Amino acid sequence: MELNFPDFFKKDLPIRTFISKKLIGVTTDCSVQDAAKKMVEFSISSLVVLKKDKVVGFFTEGDFKKKVIAEGKSPDISVKEIMNTDLINIDINSEFKDALKEMIDKHIKHLLVEEKGKIVGVLTFIDFLDVQRQKIETFISRE
Amino acid sequence: MKILHISDSHVSSSHFKKKSLKIALSEIKKKSYDLFVHSGDLTQQGKLDEYQKAKKFFDNIPIPSVMVPGNHDKRSGGISLYKNFIGKPSGVKEIHNAVIIYVDSGVADTNDGRVGMIKYNMIKDNLKKHQTKDIKILVLHHHIVPTPRAGRERNVLSNAGDLLDLILRYDVDLVLLGHKHYPNVYKIENTVFVNAGTVSDIKTRHGDVNSYNKIDIAKNRIKVSIKRINESEREKSFSRIKKTFYYNFGKKICRIAHLSNSFISSSNKFRYTHFSKAVEKINNSEIDIVVHCGGIVEEGIRRNYELAYKYLSRIEPKIIYTPAGRDINYLGYHLFPEYFGNLDQNYIYEDILFQGVSSSQYDSPIGIIGRTERESLLREIKKRKKDFNCLFLHHNVIPIIHSREKGLLEDSGDLLKQIVDEKISLVLTGTSSHAYAVKIEDTIIVNANSLSSVYHRSVHGNSFNFIDIYENIVVVYEVNSLWGTRRILGMWAR
Repeated sequence: MELNFPDFFKKDLPIRTFISKKLIGVTTDCSVQDAAKKMVEFSISSLVVLKKDKVVGFFTEGDFKKKVIAEGKSPDISVKEIMNTDLINIDINSEFKDALKEMIDKHIKHLLVEEKGKIVGVLTFIDFLDVQRQKIETFISRE
Repeated sequence: MKILHISDSHVSSSHFKKKSLKIALSEIKKKSYDLFVHSGDLTQQGKLDEYQKAKKFFDNIPIPSVMVPGNHDKRSGGISLYKNFIGKPSGVKEIHNAVIIYVDSGVADTNDGRVGMIKYNMIKDNLKKHQTKDIKILVLHHHIVPTPRAGRERNVLSNAGDLLDLILRYDVDLVLLGHKHYPNVYKIENTVFVNAGTVSDIKTRHGDVNSYNKIDIAKNRIKVSIKRINESEREKSFSRIKKTFYYNFGKKICRIAHLSNSFISSSNKFRYTHFSKAVEKINNSEIDIVVHCGGIVEEGIRRNYELAYKYLSRIEPKIIYTPAGRDINYLGYHLFPEYFGNLDQNYIYEDILFQGVSSSQYDSPIGIIGRTERESLLREIKKRKKDFNCLFLHHNVIPIIHSREKGLLEDSGDLLKQIVDEKISLVLTGTSSHAYAVKIEDTIIVNANSLSSVYHRSVHGNSFNFIDIYENIVVVYEVNSLWGTRRILGMWAR
């Protein structure tokens, strides 16, 4: 699908400069409830699941909604049971607009970022919205 | 990749030690270097005879070389001669899987430095173009972070904060600098910043001798060896492996709210709503200690202090303060202790010492601590022998994005060196109104944006910081004053 982006997104912006290069994770034996607590504690919307410092899964707050609450599962189950193992990655050398297109095409709000086959960061939809915040701030202060 | 890095040769008839330069250049024959770098001030006055002489030394380097002009090379209109005798002052070189971007940072006929918009964009565009390279190197003359033993710290690059941020965002591996005639190496986040001493100027600092650097970049390590001529070498080795995943945080020890530039007054420069919302957020966030890094009032007059005392009393957790210049202007020097306590405050929470130091002067945005005070302060912190300690002051010790270097301390080079050498765990500052956090070797340095002044520089609006100290990890958040939303500014293993 050809997208008509606003001017800002047409700029060549490498995602390397915007992504979070430090990822908060849980181990595979962590319960869903503890993982949710971690998201609240750090004010983040996704977590990587790690086994010996290697990413084996990824899940977002949307997965809690779909795979735990909506299905009436116990919050005591391990994250292993709900994590996504088919990881959707984007290369760190990609452009901002490519990442946005990928998110729109796949209907996702998070992308794991890889460099030379290793996960090195995460890009979230919020990263795109952050840049618009100044305008909102300026508007509020005028009111 | 092996690099021979020299700087500040100052070839001339007066300042120049030919023998020292010859010793340094003879190094090329000893090892199989891949690159020769001269980070500026090839000549003393940028004159014709000096360039003719310099050309004889640098024309026949048998390996790929990169040179940039320094402030001395641009004296007497020397930039024209530089182009004729040496070559392009800015450009890009590719060697194997490395890219070397070099830029002229001098401003003609002054000692100041500046990377103008065209050159800044040139660096950015080339970092983008070459982001897949295994090794990314930037070369310029002026130092980007304050260097030790360099005297007054006033002529760093005017846009050093922007450049520092660009370097870190693009994961540059190595930055090669000169200018201050004192060799020094820091690792900031994952980038190694190497300042070369002077290779052959008689003007060395603190009785030091001439020196040059030998750098070895391997897959997982960068080794930098400072070779003082006729003396032994000092080597520092840095890992290139980045820590990406954080999961074993351990017990939470402390949450700090870090504020600056509340700017309280009855004028419209003070944003009361932002302030009130921030107070509400602080009171509801299980804060253990609040550190206010200066700029309490808009100006140091009684009416503002009365208002500030009234408003800041609404904050429930313990608050410790350090003044900014504006807090001690006019009657402020007397009002600050009357309303908020000593100029140099300290507090111990859970065995963590929070030590404040007043860096402000009357009627001046420029800060200074002074050698005697600095040494006594560091001695006190060192005496405690605790594994986590915090120093807080108003002026920033590293350059801050989107601001000129006015916020820097005059003696920030020496302070930064002492902080790093003594492994002070956390340094909190509050100038330039932009939230920023980096780790320099073992020290985390955090600057706070303006809490509630109309004068802030962040696209995220007015903000303050939360700093969570866990047993194994430290997390720094920027919290929006109005919305209370937070985003992670940085996260590091302790």
